[in-house]
Amino acid sequence: MTDLHWMTASDAAKAFAAKTLSPVEMMTALLQRVEALDPKLNAFIRLDGDAAMDAARSAEREIAAGRVRGPLHGVPVGIKDIIDVAGLPTTAHSKILLDNVAKADAVVVGKLRQAGAIVMGKLSTHEFAIGGPSFDLPFPPARNPWNPDHHPGGSSSGSGAGVAAGLFPMALGTDTGGSVRNPASVCGIVGLKPTYGLVSRRGVMPLSFTLDHVGPMTRTVADNALMLDVIAGHDSGDPGSSATQERNFGRTIGRGVRGMRIGFVRHFHETDVPAHPEVTAALEDAARLFQAEGAEVETVRLPTLAEFAGINRVILCSEAWSIHGPWLRTRPGDYGQLARRRLLPGAFMNAGDYVGAQRRRAELIAAVEDALRDYDVLLCASSMDPASRIDDAAETARTYPRQARAPFNVTGHPALAMMSGLSSNGLPVSLQLVGRYFDDATVLRVAAAYEHIAGWHKRKPPIG
Amino acid sequence: MDRELAAAMARAAGLDKALAEFPDDVMGAAAQALDNAGAVQYPTDPAAEPWPPMRPGVGL
Repeated sequence: MTDLHWMTASDAAKAFAAKTLSPVEMMTALLQRVEALDPKLNAFIRLDGDAAMDAARSAEREIAAGRVRGPLHGVPVGIKDIIDVAGLPTTAHSKILLDNVAKADAVVVGKLRQAGAIVMGKLSTHEFAIGGPSFDLPFPPARNPWNPDHHPGGSSSGSGAGVAAGLFPMALGTDTGGSVRNPASVCGIVGLKPTYGLVSRRGVMPLSFTLDHVGPMTRTVADNALMLDVIAGHDSGDPGSSATQERNFGRTIGRGVRGMRIGFVRHFHETDVPAHPEVTAALEDAARLFQAEGAEVETVRLPTLAEFAGINRVILCSEAWSIHGPWLRTRPGDYGQLARRRLLPGAFMNAGDYVGAQRRRAELIAAVEDALRDYDVLLCASSMDPASRIDDAAETARTYPRQARAPFNVTGHPALAMMSGLSSNGLPVSLQLVGRYFDDATVLRVAAAYEHIAGWHKRKPPIG
Repeated sequence: MDRELAAAMARAAGLDKALAEFPDDVMGAAAQALDNAGAVQYPTDPAAEPWPPMRPGVGL
């Protein structure tokens, strides 16, 4: 049998339903692994082990009695600590919210529980999903399971590290400028930023209202689709939520890419922000694999990364200031230095800057929409470099903005990051796939085809 | 940005405490804001409207 800690959510759910495996067995194995590895990884801010084991016993009894709650019954999940779980603190990894106990589950957590998933605990993040990796916070930063001396990406750091290390098969992350896809990229897993409006953000600490997304983080594409099936759906309590009835996001997985048209955004990593040679080589390999599988791959141009990044920063800082202004005025010393420095610029932007950025945003959206009229999906870089050393603040500061994720927070299109190789020093490199609005299923289909032919998901970090 | 102007803007934003305790962070933020806003190519068409048209129920 596969080691239980490497079992996918899909396989675990099937095994539970078939009564060939108990949720208690799996939870026991995972809690033992957390005990052994998390002191090195710091994926958890708060492990809720007793409650998770109680829930596993309940799931075992219910399944034995023939009462299957849903497609994730008995499957463990980790939750980024800016997302509310009833009865547990939502600290956002910050001193500011140390005593902030959630009264109710976020909508996404409620949906996971309705589907039968078991919450294992709250996961490390960059402070308020923006300030990290930081060593001046109440909790240590998460570390990369491929090499704990390296950064696991952020801001959904614990989600990426924990999924990659086999501490849980799936996790929730959030993504405002790439924070699901960054840890997915450098931890070698699958992270999807769904279409804006597809997944509710109610009960999630906001960073930037028009850029924030909640997304699934998993080790396989099929698990990602399964998790998205559960968490997607309209929420009248989220002003950005759409009323799409879209379901079964994995319905076209397995159909391959023959006949599909893929636009390859080469200028992102060739000229806008020149990538590490191993990232570039892996992207070219991916393009060749898609062609070999029958897809048509053509070079396509979008506005530059600098354009997208500028818009992302003005909007993010302006909206974040409207949230953090009261605390920055009264408790500036309770923020870590990185979060404070990244949030304060919003105080110096004016209404004209913000509205101007939103007006230019509409033009950038139109440019991406034009490209997606000709192509089923876009292929591009995610991170331009493998993970930096976590103790090298200068290198982290240099590499952190070298990415191509923020464009799709600006536009709201679905975007998925996944592993595309290993660097010469044994760290994951990645690619990104981008689709049309509410066509997350096609993004997952293309990702699944790549996963099948490239097989990187079979590689595991040399830990534990 | 001129430090006196930045300090005045910080005080106008209610950041007196931050200015006293973390003056370098506040000054750095002022410079960063100027860089960020200056990097945006604002539309020249006066009729260009902003995103987002938040329309629950119909999507983007």
